[in-house]
Amino acid sequence: MPVRKAISTANKQLMTLTPETLPRHELNGLPVRVVESTDASRVGLEGRVVIETTNTLSVEIREGGDTRVVTVPKSGSVFEFAITDDAADAAKASGTTSKLADTQPDSSTADESDRAGDDIASCRGDGPTDHRHAAGENVAYVTVDGSRLLSRPARRTETNGDSPWQ
Amino acid sequence: MDVAAERIDRLEELARAATIDGDDERAKYYVQLARRIAERNRLEFPRSFERFTCDRCDAYLRPGDNARVRLQNGHVVISCDCGAHARYPYDE
Repeated sequence: MPVRKAISTANKQLMTLTPETLPRHELNGLPVRVVESTDASRVGLEGRVVIETTNTLSVEIREGGDTRVVTVPKSGSVFEFAITDDAADAAKASGTTSKLADTQPDSSTADESDRAGDDIASCRGDGPTDHRHAAGENVAYVTVDGSRLLSRPARRTETNGDSPWQ
Repeated sequence: MDVAAERIDRLEELARAATIDGDDERAKYYVQLARRIAERNRLEFPRSFERFTCDRCDAYLRPGDNARVRLQNGHVVISCDCGAHARYPYDE
């Protein structure tokens, strides 16, 4: 605990869930939408990520009263994650939000997904589109190509090289 | 706070929510993932998380729901539904 405390106070700029850190951050629990998929029947699925494996995300979809869980492969899919309030504020502070859009997410994703397809290597710049609701709550939508998330869930966070001699 | 520590905090919330929903298997998955992240990144497991998870079956423990909390002389005993006991001392 003392070590952890020291580290957390040392770099006080919080590494919160921002569009940059999202591919390394926890995906479970985030609202997600499948923007593109090799299987057309999966396009447009909307729900929350409940289980992540190396190659798949399981999305829990609410339909009226009942829920169902759909497993979506990461490779061959493009996901749009919604980051809410405090995270979106942090994104704004770090200057990542490229524009303010007053459109509904449905209408904005058509061009957004095209750009994400062109530039898979950088999720930043293409992805983050800040979106303001009339209620005043902040939601940032981040579009990430599924192939960027291919990793064991626990190891996605690590930034070290892949040298076996550590 | 780095990403790993934050993931653990998020997973704690998710495990609690899953247990409240009665989805114990999913809660165990979240606890196991959080443990794995902690050991991969050499982080101390947060005390609130450490105390309310089962070391044997990885269940997230909610006293009165799937855990029993009893005070013995000088220590607290938390019993999981699986039968495992965890003890820690308290000061009078």
